[in-house]
Amino acid sequence: MAAREKQTSQVNEFNQAFKPVSLWADAWKRLRKNRFALVSLWVVAFYILISLAAPLLTSLGIIYDYKGQIMAHANLPPSMLSAGEVTIIKIEARIALLEKQLEENGTKESAGGYSASTGFDFGSPAASSEEVAPPPEGAGEVLEEGVEAGEPQVSDARDFTMGFGDPIQTEIDQKKEDLAKMMKEININPIHRRVYLLGTDDLGRDMVARIIAGGRISIMIGLVGTLTAVFIGIIVGAIAGYMGGYIDNLLMRFVDIMYGLPYMLIVIIIMAMIGEKARGSFVILFVAIALVSWLTIARVVRGQIISLKNSEFVEAARSMGASTPRIIFRHLLPNTLGVIIVFSTLLMPGFIMNESFLSFLGLGVSAPDASWGTLVNEGVRGMEVRTWQLLGPAISMTIFLFCMNFLGDGLRDALDPQSKNRT
Amino acid sequence: MARYFIRRVLSLIPTLFIIVTLSFFLIRVAPGGPFSRERTVSAAIMENLLKRYHMDEPLIKQYVRYLGDVLKWDLGPSFRYKDQSVNELIDAGLPVSMALGITALALAVFLGVLVGIISALKQNKWQDYVAVSVAVVGISVPLFVIGPILQLFFAMKLKILPVGQWISTNGLQAIILPAITLSFPYFAYIARLSRASILEVLRSDYVRTARAKGLKESVVVVKHVLKGALLPVVTYLGPAFSGIVVGSIVVESIFIVPGIGKPFVQSAINRDYTLIMGDVIVYSLILVVANLLVDIIYGFLDPRISYK
Repeated sequence: MAAREKQTSQVNEFNQAFKPVSLWADAWKRLRKNRFALVSLWVVAFYILISLAAPLLTSLGIIYDYKGQIMAHANLPPSMLSAGEVTIIKIEARIALLEKQLEENGTKESAGGYSASTGFDFGSPAASSEEVAPPPEGAGEVLEEGVEAGEPQVSDARDFTMGFGDPIQTEIDQKKEDLAKMMKEININPIHRRVYLLGTDDLGRDMVARIIAGGRISIMIGLVGTLTAVFIGIIVGAIAGYMGGYIDNLLMRFVDIMYGLPYMLIVIIIMAMIGEKARGSFVILFVAIALVSWLTIARVVRGQIISLKNSEFVEAARSMGASTPRIIFRHLLPNTLGVIIVFSTLLMPGFIMNESFLSFLGLGVSAPDASWGTLVNEGVRGMEVRTWQLLGPAISMTIFLFCMNFLGDGLRDALDPQSKNRT
Repeated sequence: MARYFIRRVLSLIPTLFIIVTLSFFLIRVAPGGPFSRERTVSAAIMENLLKRYHMDEPLIKQYVRYLGDVLKWDLGPSFRYKDQSVNELIDAGLPVSMALGITALALAVFLGVLVGIISALKQNKWQDYVAVSVAVVGISVPLFVIGPILQLFFAMKLKILPVGQWISTNGLQAIILPAITLSFPYFAYIARLSRASILEVLRSDYVRTARAKGLKESVVVVKHVLKGALLPVVTYLGPAFSGIVVGSIVVESIFIVPGIGKPFVQSAINRDYTLIMGDVIVYSLILVVANLLVDIIYGFLDPRISYK
């Protein structure tokens, strides 16, 4: 109470009472004027809220379990209809297509022997890699990958019409059976009443739930990684800046060398070092990323501390007998907080991108957990036929990164108005 | 200048030495190795395998042997790709990766500076807003999202460009999509950077003088503004090149480009020691050389900097 009274009773040189404006109030005022940054702030808050509430929402049944596989619902497109109806529409379309194919085959066969046109048709990814002419090395791998990725859909998306009897006819019969079964089940089994707003993946898992689960992991890695990096960066930067001399020299040469290495290389080396068992765990993943990304923060903090350490208030503190840690943590660091916050918000999208980058390459989060990177990777495999599996996670991720970047820029302008026109 | 150059080159040696040493021991420290598979082989075969790759010797001896080999630019045999040495793998992949990287960088610089000039000269007009929004999108969208979407649109739907592969199989067209994908984030950043620095230079005294002399606007922009404004862009080229080199790992895996990116990721998964080391050495060499070149170019462009 006393502190508050003291604050409100401050006077200026004309002995008029005035309310002092703190750095934070001032920054908040400037940030509020920046509409883009404010919208971004809300979007980011929304993402974080959803991520935090995801387990609760799942248990309430508002979103589905992201691990729950329902094979009957595999590869359903986004729709407002219930899953049963979408499945029926899909099977009917499939049957119509097959029957048309059968008809065409019939006419062709009567025209002149068996045509090979429908003979070889792997899953779509393989088809696309077949389009490109016979490749040199690595092609075997590609083709294998394609077939692998195509396999789950061989029975439903494209046909594999090689072999005995008439495979198209068999598939039609099978599909008709499926259709009859679905017709019967649709009103009994509550599971078919589910609505998949963004469709499902190849194991019949809800894309909305998977995107939220992926976002949970991506955002968590972003947050924890940023905190770790900021923590290490502050300590190293503060020590180097305040101590100076050979300690500063040693620490900064180390930072320089780390800078010389591309940072993803170090992470990949660390991932290789960890070995297969622990690789799937994302705790290790963010530790690996955080261990190499404190460099910029350390440099920035060091610069700030060097410019502040000879100022009067530090001297005053020292003359009153404050210890070195006290000077660093109570007097110097609070003065660099603005810069640190700005760098952290700009660091976080970088973290999320790097985590997704690793997951995309298969070095990051492993199944059944998902991050945005693994979801995009899964989406890429079948993107020609099932575009929604790529676009859903890709767009959600992009919106978040976009808003984080805008928010970071806005915060920088708000906390450091002098940098307004710098990039 | 010459003395500075020599000193810079000499200072690369300890950096590279530390990088090689660190990565050598980091990789070896972890349990497991290139020969640990699900299927166990008999002890005798294992012994022979280890002997063949000198893995039975103490670590220090292996390290010294490896260092000697590296000095002779012999990076050893690959553990996983039988009958291929790391040198062969790198010789096959590096030209491809370098061609892709340099094309992407050139594209990023050219388009980025162009967009930067346009948006700075038309500040707060619609051209400026379009350019700035494209730039922010470019920075926020990850490479592995841009790549597949371009692929989907231009190669699969419109069918005007090949889906993937390289010049050797698909002609020059094959370089277009990967290079655009790879250059996109850097294009965006360079556009922002050059816009800001051009705006700053436009306000400077010497530009006002040039205009007061009655010079044509095009001359003012090209001869006066650009010369001063491009310095930050040149400084950014070093980090940009390093980003492009690493980013090419992803782009190569999306577009099935036969560069060194994919073997590198595979080697990390397979724990193919020699191949990881070889790739790390090649990547860091590229980077330190790129940084050196940028420093030297900078010295030529900015007469205020003197190398002592």
